[in-house]
Amino acid sequence: MSGAREKKRAKKMRNQPASVTLPAEPGPFPGGGSRACPPSGDVRSEQQYQQQKFSNQSSGPSYRKDQYFPKGQNRGERGRGRGGWQGGRVSEEMPKYITVSTFAQARAAEINAMLKAVAQKSSNSLVFQTLPRHMRRRAMSHNIKRLPRRLQEIARKEAEKAVHQKKEQSKTKCRKARRRHINLVAEFNRRQRKNIWLETHIWHAKRFHMVKKWGYCLGDSPTEKSYRACYRAMTKHCLLQDLSYYCCLELTGKENELLKQLARICSIDTGLTFEEACCLSGRFEGSLNLYRADRYPEDMLGPITFIWKPRDGSENRQLWIWMHPALKQDMLRELKAVFQCSEPEEIYIPEPITTTIQEEKQVDVVLSLGKKRKKEDKEGEKAVPVKKIIGDGTRDPFQSYSWISQTTGIVISDRTMEILRYRLIGPLSHSVLTETLKAASLQTEVADSETELNNWWVENCKDSEKVSLHQRQSAIFELLEGMSSPSEMPPGTILGLTVGDPRVNLPKKKTKAMPDFEKYQDNDKVRQLYLEGVPVDCAHSFIWDQDICKNVTENKISEQDLNHMRAQLLVPGSHLDLGPCESKIPILLVQQPGKMAGEDRPGWGSGWDIYLPKGWGMAFWIPFIYRGVRVGGLQEALKHSEYQRTPHAPNDFPDCQAGMQFAKELETSLLEKFKRRPPAKRANYVKLGTLSPFVCPWGQLTKNWEGRMKASGEFVHPSSPHPELCATEGHSFCDSKAEVVKEASPETGEVEETMEIISSEGVLKTEDVIGAQEFGERDETMTTSDFIVLRSEKLLMQLSAWCYPTAGKDRRLRLISRLGQKEMTEDVFLPILMSYPRALVWVNLSLLRKGNPELHAMICIPAEDDLVHLSKDKLFCGPQEPKHRDIFKHKVQKLKEEKKKKKKDNTKALESDPPSVPDKKTTEEHEDLILGLWSDALPDITSHCSRTLLGYVTRGDFSLAAGCGEALGFVSLTGLLYMLYNQPADKKGLVLLRTPASLQYRFARLNIEV
Amino acid sequence: MVRFKNRYVLCEVVSEDPRCRQCIEDRAVGLAVRDAVGRVHGDYGLACCSISFTVKYLNAYTGTVLLRCRKDSYRLLCSALPFVRQLESRNQRYPCSLNTLHVGGTIRTCQKFLIQYNRRQLLMLLQNCTNEEERRCIQKSLLSCSLTEEHSQSGDEEDDDGPE
Repeated sequence: MSGAREKKRAKKMRNQPASVTLPAEPGPFPGGGSRACPPSGDVRSEQQYQQQKFSNQSSGPSYRKDQYFPKGQNRGERGRGRGGWQGGRVSEEMPKYITVSTFAQARAAEINAMLKAVAQKSSNSLVFQTLPRHMRRRAMSHNIKRLPRRLQEIARKEAEKAVHQKKEQSKTKCRKARRRHINLVAEFNRRQRKNIWLETHIWHAKRFHMVKKWGYCLGDSPTEKSYRACYRAMTKHCLLQDLSYYCCLELTGKENELLKQLARICSIDTGLTFEEACCLSGRFEGSLNLYRADRYPEDMLGPITFIWKPRDGSENRQLWIWMHPALKQDMLRELKAVFQCSEPEEIYIPEPITTTIQEEKQVDVVLSLGKKRKKEDKEGEKAVPVKKIIGDGTRDPFQSYSWISQTTGIVISDRTMEILRYRLIGPLSHSVLTETLKAASLQTEVADSETELNNWWVENCKDSEKVSLHQRQSAIFELLEGMSSPSEMPPGTILGLTVGDPRVNLPKKKTKAMPDFEKYQDNDKVRQLYLEGVPVDCAHSFIWDQDICKNVTENKISEQDLNHMRAQLLVPGSHLDLGPCESKIPILLVQQPGKMAGEDRPGWGSGWDIYLPKGWGMAFWIPFIYRGVRVGGLQEALKHSEYQRTPHAPNDFPDCQAGMQFAKELETSLLEKFKRRPPAKRANYVKLGTLSPFVCPWGQLTKNWEGRMKASGEFVHPSSPHPELCATEGHSFCDSKAEVVKEASPETGEVEETMEIISSEGVLKTEDVIGAQEFGERDETMTTSDFIVLRSEKLLMQLSAWCYPTAGKDRRLRLISRLGQKEMTEDVFLPILMSYPRALVWVNLSLLRKGNPELHAMICIPAEDDLVHLSKDKLFCGPQEPKHRDIFKHKVQKLKEEKKKKKKDNTKALESDPPSVPDKKTTEEHEDLILGLWSDALPDITSHCSRTLLGYVTRGDFSLAAGCGEALGFVSLTGLLYMLYNQPADKKGLVLLRTPASLQYRFARLNIEV
Repeated sequence: MVRFKNRYVLCEVVSEDPRCRQCIEDRAVGLAVRDAVGRVHGDYGLACCSISFTVKYLNAYTGTVLLRCRKDSYRLLCSALPFVRQLESRNQRYPCSLNTLHVGGTIRTCQKFLIQYNRRQLLMLLQNCTNEEERRCIQKSLLSCSLTEEHSQSGDEEDDDGPE
């Protein structure tokens, strides 16, 4: 910064004369008259020369000497001058008179210097800017002839300089040409080569802040003010989201083969598996967490949702696995490994069509781009229209996206961007759906024999069985309108449907879709739907068939044609009836259950997901918009999951790769933001006692808690009172937990041994990991994280019951007995500790009184005094953390001083030897220490502050849904058990929250919702 | 534009003793002037003049000194300048006096004035010269200063083109 300023100043001052003094040589030259007369040429040159002569080439002010001797003529003069001067040196006596020549020469030299200073412009401004105001003229900046003639020469030189040159005109000429459709499409295609665009990209780009994430261009949040409006839409009406960026992997193969391998990557402990009967039938959508094969509970891969295609007679089943794009690469790799699908075989691919379409398109685009010039030159050549990229624009056309297993014949294909997915959240989402979509009409003859438009549908309508299925589906779909909320359906209900073109019945004005309950008040069918849900066969949809999808995508009537037909209607604005030409689109509707866990707001945030074949994105999007839905981006999705209190991928999965990556990125961005503040305005986190304000050190947290427990021996002492019981309990609790424990369960001693081995290994590993974190890199060997996140449903239920607040003892007992859980005793939780020494638990916290939790806020255990104080004083907000001492301050200051000194040296060097400075100054030393951040390896983080640290908040904000501050985060399992064990019964689950930049603790209630 | 307005005082050091040139330095001149102001106007005057007071330029060979002070207090400074009686540096003290040539609002005007002034001096010298050699010498230097202007300009342009 200062370097640049100095440079600027040097540039400004280059023409200014420097002061000229006599050389500092008192002795032999008392400043005789001859000395006082500089030889002709520049005064400074003389002086410099003298300095060089007398101070033995010490660092004299060699101030651009070449500037002063530009011509040989001058140099000659200088030489002569030196001679004269040497002559003068001989005369030791001070003369009593003034030599005229020297007098004149000194004056002349000064005139020169001054002339230079006056004539040369020294500032960075342009020539015309130096003119007085009354001489300025319009258009002076680009028309040189407007300037006074004496300045024209300088201005011409200035204009030629590269800096002032205008940016080169882009090759595409005028805006009109650029906006021409063909050029626009070509440009769009070029721009989506790098990051994938969703089909609604243009729509979003006009209304949203766009971010580039996970290889996509996604809308982050609307540009308009809509934080609260989006929440209202979620709770009262309908919020629409484009989730097409979610990735779909399709597995095809025999059912038992698929299930056998899939069982390895998930666990029954965490809830559902792929084998779940109702999901397997294709009736419901399931969601679960994937792990690396046979590695449960370590090596988490991430959360997914899956849909089985309903059985249709053939023995091959299709399975869609939907996941977040950040998790895709890991999962794909793992699935390929599990199914041994290594070779990407194009011959065996049952759907080579998709790739070839893309290939064609890509080639098309490339050709057309290459030939653009030529085409314009030769009008006669038939112009190939540039096709819009539909689907994934970044795909390499020559790379296969399907993999087949030679042994089992299972095919894994990546169908990302082939199926679009929109999410409607809110109680009125199905009235939006029913109003927008109309079931396709039956059709028995092909409209136009040339095109293959709808031929699949005609084919289908010939089959009476399929016709009846379609009618049943559409009947159920219409009944949906009678439901008051999507949450009334069983969670994950799937309804297949074939609908007509939604653009046909577009309303003239944007209206709000409202349900008409009176119509369905006494309808038995609606009641039946409530009770029984959607039958299995109605889940069937043609969207599973890729040929049909391709047909539908290709035979879409363009918007232009549709508008043309609309214009030709006899009565303007009347309903357009396309008749047999109307496209039929197979879709899939999947109910999203919303909030299921916990007690308050059941079914909040429920809605429908709609799956479409690609190419139809905008055709469905605009009609939805016309039904008064509000559109949300990534931020709104985040809020949705926050109010639902569910973890959001990949933010809240610290144990999977994508989650770690996310945390790292978050840390760097937060650190950047922190550094951008002026140092005086930064929070000093060391003083606040916040060890890691930008990242949650989960590994260290779990390690420290384990160490604590070992050291205190409070409830992990080796001489457990009931070793047998403990072991058996452990066995009963963790049915299929870590195998180590299982094997070791018969003998407790062995358990301890293994535990110790594990822990010692863990310690080493953790240290490594921490070291790696320090340097901001984590190589492949560290992928196995040293902690796990507890996802076993049984254990979570148990924990949830334990941390339930109770007023009286009996209520608690009742509750526990209701949940079928045991009272919290040592015998029960010891085995949990044994089997999960380093586990984190997903918890939610709601603040009792004041406070707004933030990202990375610390969850702490309240001291006994705090609880006493709270029970005495109802208005007690929470204790204060005493201020810490900044132990790094002097270090930082020392560093700063050193830097300053160095800088001073630099500036000195600048004064003495300016030409060599620029390259010197560019070397900018890296600063490791930042004031206010902990710079060493972290100490024991649990006991660093006055309250023991339990965990961290990963997401926290004021919750509009709950009306108080709410936070979601992870706590150490060990710590949680320790806290619950020591807390009085009526205060169980009370914790303290402290945001990183504050000393104030706030009380919060900890909950585990299962 | 809003800025602090300064006054620049261009003076000439007049001394009998040629060795006085040795004392013409930033520090020595500044101290001498300050001393004079302090003597004449007291502490108040010294404080007034000290605000942004510096020696911007000096030339020991010609004895030119350019001083800067705030516009408000330049009268105090100017009135004190005649009271500078000596310059002192390195334990040597030489009597001298300061002759104010010009008071300007910018350095640039002072520079312009200095050019004009020096030219006049040279011309005067040329008129008054007594022998042929002197006349030749002065003519040469006169020519050199006008010539080098062009040279330096062309040289500068080369210089400009070089780095950019």
